Amino acid sequence: MSAAERAMGRIVARPGERALGWAAAAALAASAVLSLAVAPPDAQQGQVQRLMYVHVPTAWLAYLAFAVVFVASIAYLRTKRSRWDRLAAASAELGVLFTALTILLGSLWARPVWGTWWTWDPRLTTTAVLLLIYLGYLAVRRLTDSPPRRARWAAVVGIVGFIDVPIVHLSVQWWRSLHQGPTVARLGGPTIAPVMLATLLVAVAAFTLAYLYLLALRLRVGRVEERTVAEALSPRIGRPAEDLLDDAAGAPVEPAPRGR
Amino acid sequence: MAEHLGYVVAGYVATAVALGGYVLSLRRRLRRARDRAAAMAARGARTAT
Repeated sequence: MSAAERAMGRIVARPGERALGWAAAAALAASAVLSLAVAPPDAQQGQVQRLMYVHVPTAWLAYLAFAVVFVASIAYLRTKRSRWDRLAAASAELGVLFTALTILLGSLWARPVWGTWWTWDPRLTTTAVLLLIYLGYLAVRRLTDSPPRRARWAAVVGIVGFIDVPIVHLSVQWWRSLHQGPTVARLGGPTIAPVMLATLLVAVAAFTLAYLYLLALRLRVGRVEERTVAEALSPRIGRPAEDLLDDAAGAPVEPAPRGR
Repeated sequence: MAEHLGYVVAGYVATAVALGGYVLSLRRRLRRARDRAAAMAARGARTAT
């Protein structure tokens, strides 16, 4: 078992998951207080700029979630261990949630500032494409009943689809865009006020904790659902359910053909 | 700019609903899968005896 797998095991263990849940809830509450009551309104945009403290963290988490899908997909293709496929599937679902939230929050911010809910700007368009790619990833996972085939197809989409993440990030520099350019991660240092930067960093940390908690919970769902499939297949294959879980037996299991 | 506060409230409420709703849906999925796994294990045990 690799160090990465051991670290993942510690995070998804029940006590770790519960502690993460409470830490995420406390951090999100602290972030909301800082964002809504402590940070000053923007000199030009006023109160509506406070949407930055949720819009930017959700966008960052979408990137992180899809980066995890990318790494887990490569790990699955190398090792054929289903735990990597479960991790990729869990992170993709979260990535879709955070990308959809990013688009919704961006739209709410754009209406008063740009005067429109949506425009075919490079950043917005590439982000919409990103959402479609990972909705496609989740759809591919439903195309076949065979777990190894499903994991293999999904891993390929998870690796190829990640190409859009740097395109989304760099779109504001590559093309003329209505969306603002980088203000934090840029050469020459951040251009926002220190109190706003501190509030944003707290929000990013809080949402990252929330991502880790949701990931741990989603992984547990994946493990239990896999066990359900193993329990269903066990009498048809004539092997104990424990043997059918590839983490225990070391090899993925093809389901028996359906009798019609 | 005070009239734009509605957009901020809508954004924070949407975020809370999305994250909270996802947690609840995962917990429901977990409960259902656990019940199904237990039912199948019990059926398997009955068949074996």
